[in-house]
Amino acid sequence: MPKIRIDGREIEVPAGRTLLQAIDDLGLLMNGVEIPHYCWHPKLSIDGSCRLCQVEIEGTPKLQIACNTPVQDGMVVHTQSERVRAAREGVMELLLINHPLDCPICDQAGECKLQDYAYDYGLTQSRSREPRRALKKNVDLGPTIVFDQERCILCRRCVRFCEEVTGTGELRVFGRGDRSVVDIWPGVPLDNPYSMNVADMCPVGALTTKDFRFKIRVWFLEEVPGVCTGCANGCNVYLGVANNKVYRYTPRRNDAVNQTWICDAGRLSYRRIGAADRQRSALVRGELGVPEPASFERALAEAASRLRRLVEVKGPGVIAGVASAHATNEDLYTFRRFLLALGAGESGVAVPRGDSDALLVKEEKAANAEGARVLGFGPARAVLERLRAGGVEALVVLGSDLLGERGLEDLSPLDRLDTLVVLAAHQSDLQRVAHVVFPTRHAAEKQGTLTSHAGRVQRVVPAVEPAFEAHAEGDVLHRLGAALGLPGFEGSYDPRAVFRALVREVPAFAGLDEGALGDQGAPLAAPAERPKASRASPGARA
Amino acid sequence: MLTTPYVTSYLSEHFAHDDFGTLKGYERRGGYQAAREALTRMSPEEVVQRVKDSGLQGRGGAGFGTGLKWSFMPRETEKPKYLVCNADESEPGSFKDRILMERGAHQLLEGILIAAWATGAEKTFLYVRGEYAWPASQLERAIAEAYAKGYLGPKVMGTRFRHDVVLMRGAGAYICGEETGLLESLEGKKGQPRKKPPFPAQVGAFGMPSTVNNVETFCHVPHILSKGVEWFRGFGTEKSPGTTLFGVSGHAVRPGLYELPLGTPLDEIVFEHARGVPHGRKVKGVIPGGMSMPILPAGELDVRMANEFLRERKTMLGTGGIMVMDETTCMVRVACIITYFFRDESCGQCTQCREGTGWLNKIMSRIERGAGLPADLDVLLDVAGKMEGQTICAFADAAAWPVQGLLRHFRADFEAHLREQKCPFPESFEL
Repeated sequence: MPKIRIDGREIEVPAGRTLLQAIDDLGLLMNGVEIPHYCWHPKLSIDGSCRLCQVEIEGTPKLQIACNTPVQDGMVVHTQSERVRAAREGVMELLLINHPLDCPICDQAGECKLQDYAYDYGLTQSRSREPRRALKKNVDLGPTIVFDQERCILCRRCVRFCEEVTGTGELRVFGRGDRSVVDIWPGVPLDNPYSMNVADMCPVGALTTKDFRFKIRVWFLEEVPGVCTGCANGCNVYLGVANNKVYRYTPRRNDAVNQTWICDAGRLSYRRIGAADRQRSALVRGELGVPEPASFERALAEAASRLRRLVEVKGPGVIAGVASAHATNEDLYTFRRFLLALGAGESGVAVPRGDSDALLVKEEKAANAEGARVLGFGPARAVLERLRAGGVEALVVLGSDLLGERGLEDLSPLDRLDTLVVLAAHQSDLQRVAHVVFPTRHAAEKQGTLTSHAGRVQRVVPAVEPAFEAHAEGDVLHRLGAALGLPGFEGSYDPRAVFRALVREVPAFAGLDEGALGDQGAPLAAPAERPKASRASPGARA
Repeated sequence: MLTTPYVTSYLSEHFAHDDFGTLKGYERRGGYQAAREALTRMSPEEVVQRVKDSGLQGRGGAGFGTGLKWSFMPRETEKPKYLVCNADESEPGSFKDRILMERGAHQLLEGILIAAWATGAEKTFLYVRGEYAWPASQLERAIAEAYAKGYLGPKVMGTRFRHDVVLMRGAGAYICGEETGLLESLEGKKGQPRKKPPFPAQVGAFGMPSTVNNVETFCHVPHILSKGVEWFRGFGTEKSPGTTLFGVSGHAVRPGLYELPLGTPLDEIVFEHARGVPHGRKVKGVIPGGMSMPILPAGELDVRMANEFLRERKTMLGTGGIMVMDETTCMVRVACIITYFFRDESCGQCTQCREGTGWLNKIMSRIERGAGLPADLDVLLDVAGKMEGQTICAFADAAAWPVQGLLRHFRADFEAHLREQKCPFPESFEL
């Protein structure tokens, strides 16, 4: 590997890369090596036009753009010299002579690279006495994006994204010289499943999403790392949180999962967290035969007594379980243990499905379908068949995907049940026929891990707290197990302890370390490398 | 219509004869013998070496060594290699390539053939300025003649060397005369210069190794091969051998083309060949090499017209387009025109060029309008300085240099505008 000296610090860099790429590969860009840049983006082709990333290379008379200069062994680079600073100041002054400087009413303020670098390299007073360019404002580019042409600094990231990533090519630079503008072709809107990424990439406030603009000033947001739960891809996101509310998802870079992108549907799935149809209270079926709000303890007691009676009268084999692909590995592992300890009969997982594409979107519309499979949950088909055949007396259901496309066509098989216990974060028709309902938490509200379609285990942490009493599925099941006096359900539910048990007991999780998961996750052990389990099913008796 | 330069030398010697443009007329005067000699008796390496030894510099403006440029073409490659002839002559003040195409199309084609042999190129793209309809038609006719005679096509002159020439008309953008902007335009894209690396010799036209040369550059090559390096070096200076076609325009008694050796003093061209300034007026300033080159004041016209001497005066030969301005000329108006041109023609990619060209022009226009501010001149120089040497191509430099030149030599004009808050040159040309 070539060695270069950058600002007096010797580093080994990957060969065959440009300076900016190599520094980014090492995770040092703007994180130890300060090279401001606009047009360069790690996942787009090199443009080389903003000229802000110019650096001084010894032995080369002119300053060179770091984004397009190949690394060479022995290269000596200065990123903070006087000449470099002067060049950056020049670029900033020129970018600002036509910029409207409307930060007080601009939604990008606070996360604007023009603002940031103007603080670092800008003049406090503009020397330009000329009128600024007057261009189009508040342009409706399509269903998701609003464009302010005056704020645009023509870095062309959005143009390259639509050309190179989505292949849709809606955006172009029209005109030339200082009449250059980004725009769409007449009558062809910016409309593709990834369109909102252009707003993330836009370093200034030119492209903003209709969804987020003017909702809140970004400096009030805490950006909590999390995982999108819209599909099985497990795209990494930041949850923009303020006032105990998630205002947006923005993609968080993970080169092994989603690069720096997220699909529009996934981005907007944050709305499920604070949705109006959240299950906000526990329910117990009352004397009128309809579920009525009840305290959590009352629901717990009701569910426990119904299950206990059934076990005593008919044996545990008439109890079946349907897991949710939305639940965490910890929830599902607890469910698995619960069913085994109870001696329940059939179990499976219901996975919602939908469209997929070649970029990010996966057919399975839940974040942890793979985790459920790894933890031993087969398709819910077996449960449904036995249910239709009348062999099930009690059903414990996580989520509502049982009612999905490949699930139950109608509720009639459920009518016959002696006991239907539902653990769900959102309302559905299941609740109408349930005997006991427990409100649960969204992935943004709990601690745990999710396994992506590719077998990558990724961590989620509570970003917000529900405004009502709700517990993770694992927590509810742990308490239910305790109420039933099942072995291994003593004490209280601790997702971290469950994860450690997973690592101990489930061969696919062998070797994973919660701390090492970090923000980027880690892959499950490859099947060939998994230790031989002493027990056929995972964690039969923990 | 101008058909022949007022002063001729080897390039334009026969331009007065209409039949020189035909294959028959060209061959009768010794045409295509150099190409035949190269293709049948010389190795490509020998041709490159010969051109290197001749010291021929590119005539497109940058003055880069032609033989050296040819040697950058990879020898061992599976890819087809291309030559590109830059006939987009778009530098204001320059009109030499036009006559070389109109009056000596076969001379150009022979130069192309020799260069193709030297670089192993199988195809030449001739990119002709959109407005040059007549030159393009002359080239098309000459190309057809060359194909018919077997001088182009699968077996050039009966050898196993294949070469094709494809003519393509531009659509009228200055930046398409920049080597890589031309390549983009040639490929059907918006004419925007490419960042380097990669250089055209690695990734050029349509992704293939390519060499781009100016029309005049090619035209010198047959003469170097047929008459020899010694003979060629008999023209011009030690460092800048050969002749060039100086184009004189502006306030000259006899504007036109003059084929003279490099190193000819500028005052000789302006006062002797072009016969000075009309109406008994005095010269105020002369742009020596096309509009993008810094101006020289009347007192500095003794400079010899070769880069080694012009650089000492902080200007360059460029394309040899000499623009003469008399004493009535308002240099602020000149600056307005020049900055407007570059503002209009900037491709808009790089920050400094896109924003800087517009800013320079806005300030210049304001000064000319009589609304100049005391700080303007410092801002102009500072902005020009920030544009220089920092962009993908040399366009921003070309836009900055004339401003620096005008302020260096004619600061008094600008100061007069600021002081009087109006243009003090009522007799100057109108904007």
